[in-house]
Amino acid sequence: MEAALNGLMALADPHLLALIFAATLGGVLVGALPGLNATTGVALLLPFTITMDPVPAIAILTTIYCAATFAGAITAILINTPGTSASATTCLDGYPLAQRGEAGRALGMAAVSSTIGGIISVVCLMAAAPLMARAAYNFAPPEYFALTVFGLSMLATIGDGSPIKNILSGAFGVVIATVGIDLLTSVERFTFGMNELSEGIPFVPVMIGVFGISELLVQADNLHVERKPVIMKAIMLPSREDYKRVWKTILRSSGIGTFIGILPAEGATVASMIGYNEAKRWSKNPEEFGKGSLEGIAGSEAANNSATGGAMVPTLALGIPGSPTAAVILAGLMVHGLRPGPTMFTEQADFAFAIFWSMMLVNVIFFFIGLWGAKIFARVTLIPIQILWPIVFIFSIVGAYALEQSMMDVWIAIGSGILGFFMRRHGFSVVPMAIGLILGGMLETRLGQSMVMLDEKWWLMLTRPLSLFFFVLTVLALFGPMVWGRLFKQRSPLKSTGE
Amino acid sequence: MQDAPDTTDKSRRDISRYAVPLGIIAFCVWAYWLSTQFERVPPILKRGMQPSDFPQLVIGLIIMLSVWLLFRDESEAPERLTKMVQMTMGLLIGFLLISQVDLFLALGLFAASLTALWGERRVLAIVLVGLIAPIAVFFLFDGIFEVRFPRGLLTNLWYG
Repeated sequence: MEAALNGLMALADPHLLALIFAATLGGVLVGALPGLNATTGVALLLPFTITMDPVPAIAILTTIYCAATFAGAITAILINTPGTSASATTCLDGYPLAQRGEAGRALGMAAVSSTIGGIISVVCLMAAAPLMARAAYNFAPPEYFALTVFGLSMLATIGDGSPIKNILSGAFGVVIATVGIDLLTSVERFTFGMNELSEGIPFVPVMIGVFGISELLVQADNLHVERKPVIMKAIMLPSREDYKRVWKTILRSSGIGTFIGILPAEGATVASMIGYNEAKRWSKNPEEFGKGSLEGIAGSEAANNSATGGAMVPTLALGIPGSPTAAVILAGLMVHGLRPGPTMFTEQADFAFAIFWSMMLVNVIFFFIGLWGAKIFARVTLIPIQILWPIVFIFSIVGAYALEQSMMDVWIAIGSGILGFFMRRHGFSVVPMAIGLILGGMLETRLGQSMVMLDEKWWLMLTRPLSLFFFVLTVLALFGPMVWGRLFKQRSPLKSTGE
Repeated sequence: MQDAPDTTDKSRRDISRYAVPLGIIAFCVWAYWLSTQFERVPPILKRGMQPSDFPQLVIGLIIMLSVWLLFRDESEAPERLTKMVQMTMGLLIGFLLISQVDLFLALGLFAASLTALWGERRVLAIVLVGLIAPIAVFFLFDGIFEVRFPRGLLTNLWYG
């Protein structure tokens, strides 16, 4: 309780408030700009936060995460192009409404449901993260190892790619994480005698490469896409009648989104798809879906925004990212010397609660920005990509260089970008690779500690109930969807677009 | 007339289907061989595992999954790389080469060339992207974030 109050007091700092407000604007901008999404935005901004104290630095990153996730709805509704993949389902009903001259009503519904979803998820985060941390406090290395393996196994279901390719991508990230001096034995591995590699492959340039520079190459193929805004009437909040129709949908989708967010590696995209599907399944008017249903917008937007809070639960409590963007935030926490995990709520509880409150605040701020600034942000989406992306590239390169002030990091960023582009072309998501890189070190350390603890008899891990539980979950995560798919041969009407 | 593109598509699909897993396997074999060259530590210091054990375990997993991919992957071959993507990659390589002379010269040239390559014809826009943006970013990072950029042809003008 005291930590919660101290965290709230931290927000009384006008400097921090101004930063959060500016980051909200920046996040909305990132979410609204074509090709940029929350993950890319956070990765690009991370180097800017290095010189800051941890609270403002991480508050900025989480603010960008929340605001960009919401802002994807603006372009989804106004130009039928989801600003982020989490808003792909919002297009289905938002754009038809906009075409009927009801863009304001659609944006109003998106803002209201996103805000409610976001606030509910932050409340859950405040309650669940300390509880989860307390439960994990007594985890020994074998339990942590099993939990990390489970977290990595969840990568199989990211995006719409093949689960095998996702696991391959994640495993590749883990191999990259072994570059450098082995922490347990001090032996150099895969460094080719280069001093720059002795501390390992740095996270930040890789993130900038795989999320930013690879997207630049993808955008080179999208030059012909024409974006036309619809004419928007004055902003119109949803009516009392509209609220009556959607409140159950908002609550249901907020619960779904928070739950999906808590699952390791699953993010806002999956949450929005399930939220939308469930909204349609429970609706009294399912025939309106896809033609301009407010319930569709509410179902999608409440779910994707609530996933942001949910995703931060395992990220802060266990050090296992709950979504791709949370993985970059996790990298940010590590860069700032913070140790996400159970001890965060005993040793850095004030910090954790300051972050929670800042996330709560950003949900309120973007409600107003979403309502009254949407027209301006809609214009921003019309910035030609031939101007936008060269500028993004400049920031990417300077950001990659700035962290360690090393040209090697620039090469790593470009190399990762080209690699990421080819991976995406061949159906390998880059997200598992990024998460594998972040978790690889932890995975190896925990395995090493487990081997010492269990006298090098790894199979004894299976005799420990909690590790066995996580291993069973891993098997279910890997093979469950396949078995389920064969048993019930049915396909979802929606296809994930990946995050 | 219909047969030619089909054959090409099939061969591209085959190349994509076999070349990618085989490329990954070749990479893994190389990485595995490299891992056999790691120093080994005495049992008292090894703390549960030799330094090569974990990478070899993961590399083994990758090889196993790649073999599976070799026989079971039915995904379609990606479209041919467009000229625009190829030229953008060429610019990236050019950027890396020029960055050895000066990072900001490379950034400015890359940004201006990319803007022009992607179809922007307004001189003001090209100047904005190729000149004003890099200068603004330089002073932002140098002044506010106290980042010292590598010395080069242009940065020496500022650093003296």
